[in-house]
Amino acid sequence: MAPVNPLANWEKVGDSFYRKIPVYDAIFDEDVELENYIVAGAPYGGAIALYRDESKPFRLRDSQSSRTSIEIYSCSGKHINTINGEQATIRGLGWSDKEELLVVFEDGTVRRYFGLDGEFTSFSLGNGAEEYGVRACQFWASGLVVLLSNNQLIAVSKYDEPRPRLLAPCPEGEVSSWSLIPPAHTLSRSVEVLLAVDKTVFLVDTTEAEDKILQDGPFKHVSVSPTGRLVALFTSEGKLWIVSNDFQSKLSEYDSKSRVAPSSVDWCGDDAVILAWEDEIHLVGSNGTASKYYYDGRVHVIPEMDGVRLITNDTCEFLHKVHDVTQEIFRLGSSSPASVLLDSVDQLEKKSPKADENIQRIRSSLPSAVDACIKAAGYEFDSYWQKRLLKAASFGKSVLELYNSDDFVEMTEKLRVLTAARDYQVGLPISYEQYLRLTPEGLIERLISRHEYLLAIRVSEYLQIPADRIYVHWASQKVRVSTVDDEAVCKLIVQRLDGKPGISFEVIAQTAYDEGRSHLATQLLNHEPRAGKQVPLLLNMEEDEMALDKAIESGDDDLVNYVLLHMKSKLPLASFFRMINTRPMASALVETDARGQDTELLKDLYYQDDRPVEGSNVLLSEALQATDPQRKTEKLHLASRLLSDSKDPTVMLHQKLVSEASQLLKAQESLDKDLADHNEFLGLSLNETIFRLVRAGYGKRAHKMQAEFKMPEKTYWWLRLRALVAKRDWGELEELGKNKKSPIGWEAFYNEVLGAGNTKLASIFIPKCTHLPVADRIEMWVKCGMIVKAGEEAQKAKDVNTLELLRNKASGPAITEIERMINQLRPRK
Amino acid sequence: MMAPLGDADHCRDKARKDLVALLEGARGKKNLVISQELAGPVGLFVKFSVLQEYGVDRVFLLENANIDSSQRNVVFLVRGEKAQHVRTVAEQVKRLRTNGNVEHEITIIFAPRRTLVSNAVLEEAGIIGDVNIAELPLYFLPLEQDILSLELDDAFSDLYLNKDPGCIFHSAKALMGIQQKHGYFPRIVGKGDNARRLADLLLRMRKELDAEESSGLADPSARGLLPSADTENLIIIDRDVDFGTPLLTQLTYEGLIDEYVGIKNNQADVDTSIVGQAPTPQSQESSKTPQQAKQGLKRKIQLDASDTLFNQLRDANFAIVGDILNKVARRLENEYETRHSAKTTNELRDFVNKLPTYQLEHQSLRIHTNLAEEIMRLTRSETFRKVLEVQQNNAAGADPTYQHETIEELIARDVPLKSILRLLCLESCMSGGLRPRDLENFKRQVVQAYGHQHLLTFWALERMELLQPRSSATTMLLPTSGAQAGTKTNYGYLRKNLRLVIEEVSEKDPNDISYVYSGFAPLSVRLVQCVLQKPYILSLIKGGSPAASVNNASTASPGWLGFEDVVKSARGSTFSLVQKGDDKAVRARQTLSGNAATKTVYVFFLGGITFTEIAALRFIAAQEAPRRRIIICTTGVISGDRMMDVAIEKGSFSKAE
Repeated sequence: MAPVNPLANWEKVGDSFYRKIPVYDAIFDEDVELENYIVAGAPYGGAIALYRDESKPFRLRDSQSSRTSIEIYSCSGKHINTINGEQATIRGLGWSDKEELLVVFEDGTVRRYFGLDGEFTSFSLGNGAEEYGVRACQFWASGLVVLLSNNQLIAVSKYDEPRPRLLAPCPEGEVSSWSLIPPAHTLSRSVEVLLAVDKTVFLVDTTEAEDKILQDGPFKHVSVSPTGRLVALFTSEGKLWIVSNDFQSKLSEYDSKSRVAPSSVDWCGDDAVILAWEDEIHLVGSNGTASKYYYDGRVHVIPEMDGVRLITNDTCEFLHKVHDVTQEIFRLGSSSPASVLLDSVDQLEKKSPKADENIQRIRSSLPSAVDACIKAAGYEFDSYWQKRLLKAASFGKSVLELYNSDDFVEMTEKLRVLTAARDYQVGLPISYEQYLRLTPEGLIERLISRHEYLLAIRVSEYLQIPADRIYVHWASQKVRVSTVDDEAVCKLIVQRLDGKPGISFEVIAQTAYDEGRSHLATQLLNHEPRAGKQVPLLLNMEEDEMALDKAIESGDDDLVNYVLLHMKSKLPLASFFRMINTRPMASALVETDARGQDTELLKDLYYQDDRPVEGSNVLLSEALQATDPQRKTEKLHLASRLLSDSKDPTVMLHQKLVSEASQLLKAQESLDKDLADHNEFLGLSLNETIFRLVRAGYGKRAHKMQAEFKMPEKTYWWLRLRALVAKRDWGELEELGKNKKSPIGWEAFYNEVLGAGNTKLASIFIPKCTHLPVADRIEMWVKCGMIVKAGEEAQKAKDVNTLELLRNKASGPAITEIERMINQLRPRK
Repeated sequence: MMAPLGDADHCRDKARKDLVALLEGARGKKNLVISQELAGPVGLFVKFSVLQEYGVDRVFLLENANIDSSQRNVVFLVRGEKAQHVRTVAEQVKRLRTNGNVEHEITIIFAPRRTLVSNAVLEEAGIIGDVNIAELPLYFLPLEQDILSLELDDAFSDLYLNKDPGCIFHSAKALMGIQQKHGYFPRIVGKGDNARRLADLLLRMRKELDAEESSGLADPSARGLLPSADTENLIIIDRDVDFGTPLLTQLTYEGLIDEYVGIKNNQADVDTSIVGQAPTPQSQESSKTPQQAKQGLKRKIQLDASDTLFNQLRDANFAIVGDILNKVARRLENEYETRHSAKTTNELRDFVNKLPTYQLEHQSLRIHTNLAEEIMRLTRSETFRKVLEVQQNNAAGADPTYQHETIEELIARDVPLKSILRLLCLESCMSGGLRPRDLENFKRQVVQAYGHQHLLTFWALERMELLQPRSSATTMLLPTSGAQAGTKTNYGYLRKNLRLVIEEVSEKDPNDISYVYSGFAPLSVRLVQCVLQKPYILSLIKGGSPAASVNNASTASPGWLGFEDVVKSARGSTFSLVQKGDDKAVRARQTLSGNAATKTVYVFFLGGITFTEIAALRFIAAQEAPRRRIIICTTGVISGDRMMDVAIEKGSFSKAE
């Protein structure tokens, strides 16, 4: 095959060259009348959706039903699927980045088809869409904006969790055209819309509609360039304006000399605009230069990020700007190093010495020439020129001593993949730049949705990308279409996927379940390694118990809680309890949750589980929360009764203490009645009660309480001591000190009284501390400031050293006293 | 090797970036409503001024329920795992909807993840479609360069009281984050049943990640995860292995501040009567409760390594804090005096340049001197001495019944309930329970002294296995009764075989971790030493009891090797798991990166860690410094008081409203 001259279809527009590459031919049957269809193409060379344009008259054929349907084709014209539409009128057809088809109906329903298989989810736009009806819609990579007939705009920015949001209200007037700016290119980072109303254009976002104040409308078309920097406006006079996105400066103007507005205005890359009429295309470049193409039939334009696809009955073409690298190599008379390098391959084949001459000439810039050839190979669609360029690169790098061949190797890999994808059997006319944007994973995804499993696996192996998704998709498809029995399908799938890492059996099982084969689903689920993933499906399948077990296995408390929530609302209480009481984690979570919210449930649970102490504790908590004393005692009574049957000594103690609590409350109530005018004692602890009684001078009652509640003598003494000190009742304390013995010793008395600052009274207790060592007692005297007494103590112990120390501390007459003692002890010389 | 950002900085930066990005998502000015338990942690990685830069106008606490309509945008930040909080959010959203005439734009940010239950709650409330929902993957938060905390306030109560393993899952997720950054922990060593559960979860998650990874769901950077070359291992210690240690009064400076003032998210609220007013009355968070003003103003004191003086003091035994403070005071004085000797202009300029640091140091000196004096006052009190005496006797293994009289006296003297319960629990933990008769006796006394509601407290303590009757079978845990894989930690045996008690430790110039409790080494950290410092422990034991089985374990012996028998006497499962990777890949990586000189050891305390244990671990880290780096991870910082707080019933019979 003779190589096509690479310059053959170049066209100079302004300063740049554009070229139109025929990718496929003979796409559609002759009887598909393209002019009667609305065509929407998915980005990155994706599928094309055809929908009958109802505004066009068409011949009614007997075979065609009146039902509208959407046909999906590949770019090479291979029929992929037919989606049967509903009766409702379709107002918009668009694709997302992930090749999901979005269909917007007049009543505001949006259907999202994924995977080209006809499976869909749908959501409603709301916000008055039903009332007013959808007029038109526009799409971007991950969202859409809908224009209602009342000029309201509704935006949906993601499809996974669609949340239709009303944009700012628009001014009244006739909307002649509109366009959206995707969130990635706006300042607000959310979608904005250009609305051509009457003579001007409004920029509408979520908060306001800003009038750009133009006078030359109405504009028949508004279109925003792929990077959002430029806007193309088509006026009613047939002029095309390119303006900056702030509408401040007009960059160029082009007169189409057509009274009829074009059917579409699209951007081809960021610097040219395509005007399309029925069978005519104007490519408008910078400064109003243009180039025109004519066709035999209707031509449809599908914009891409780096060019446009042109679809006619016969051909699919890719029109794009010639890349600088390519231009540099192939332009007539080019003498760039890369061009010379390419030439030397020719010379080499002719065995001409000029090959070497050439190389020597460009020696200094050889590395960049090699790079350029590699890069240019990527932009070529023709394999002849790809090979040629790579050969040149290979020749060039063989001359170089040191060259990193990674780019070269990667490019060959990419080209192989691209060639496979562009094959007409597959029909993905993806350009090199689009492939970079789509990523290899994205490409594989597309292959999967076309059921090109073998190719997908080959590509993933070639590029070393995990292939499990392909297997899973294959298996799901198998589940869908196979008619053999469950066992056989499961066996087949498991066998085939055995040893493949990362297979998500959950997805396959979900498919099986959706197909109504729940037995198969259960079987498949057993192979899923991620316990957590199985839970939602198991719940759907009403396999609650298994779901609970799997949730517990996953260790994720959220999953367990979720399953429990589900089960609690579904099961009768008794079976719910049965379900959880063998699973400690589950019952712990139920208990924790119920403790805050649902004490009745808790009581039932403890009753059923025969845990009387816990049950009684719930009542005790309720008693604490009750405000009315009557209620408190009632609850306490109930709490104590729950435990009355037990023989366990700890439980018996517990029960006794619970009833003691109500006994105490009763006693305090009568104290309040007798002694205080408001609730002073009610609810205090026993110790506190007695402390306050003593402090208030009701010693007798305190004693009675002590006896009634069998308070240990020691505790009682401590309380009395502290209360009396607090009361500063020195007399009573002295009275106490007359006791022969104190259960808490006398040191405590000394300390407390001293702490309260009464040294005189404190000192009374010192002689009673007979069990303490002398040194301590001396210290105690000193603390009371009674040096002499301390001295006496030391004298008794015949401790001269201490006495001498004491002498230093003493003052006034005490000094002589101490000295006297020292002298007594120390024998005169 | 290039040193990338440390884990702490990495966590901080990531958390800040994530939060800020989410705040940016809500355009324009907004009000932020945050749940109490997240307010502190958020403060660890982002300043209020930064929030303001991103349009936050005012901050409200979720619990106060006082969000108003002053801004159209309202952002809620709550934990997704807390159904109760999500319900509160739903209520407040509904109220915002009905009240007022502003149409609100509401965003709910769930940290660390959006849960199915919260979805269900929002759905039930009928608002799920009307609010923006986002996730803030908040896991480890850096308290210091060497401490990563999950700052889960409820971890302790969830684990041991409610038996809710949610925080184990949370921890596993957090540790997976570390593994995704550094590669798999080559070995996971651990002690305790919950620790085992955590390790199992980690293994399971790794398997699941492998599955997910190859299915292209995980982000591509995580692909082909291998055992890490610069990580040595992960040591997980379950808190219930060593309940005893945190019950003791902490005796390091930071520990004592925590005991008496309380440290939360690196901050302590100290009474202004102690530390004086804040120097510049900054307009802090907008809402100041009037109640605070009434009971003496509190001043927030930042306690972290940015304060160099505090950094010197924090891990020192309190006994020597006074000395250090004096020394620093003298040095500052001297430095300040140099201004007189400054003759040349250069010298003067030097001095002026140093002035700001000097002033900062001086300020910090004043704060810490005051704080230390206050603590000194408290430690001199008679009750403190008595409490400490009981604790130390228990720790040393003296017959606990001799202490009972003191405890009874303390009850009668109405010391705070927490202190009493700590003493009782300590005895129970250390000697395998109280004699039933004693326990009954104490129950009655405590209930009479502090109120009958504490029957619930006792029940909770029993459920947590902190305070139990001694079962007739295990009489007292004798030092000799050997290793039975126990449901209880046998302190008696371990005290002897791991030399927990070292009487002669120097507080000033410590040579053993026991300095943090003035003579008692935290068992939890001893266990870590059994993994990291085998020769040291062996030499310790040799000095003590020759009977102990001494394998000549070399330094290289991994896991518990050499100590299996000893460790068995502590409660719960003992394990050491190796995470293997593709051998070829591992070797390739090793040759590529060389053997990293410093290997990191992650020590994870599940259920909380005390400041004393942190100090002890830092002490080990300093010894291991050139070879190993120790990063302390935990669910949160705990203290004996906080443990008791979990159990103590808050209601009372008086005036319940």
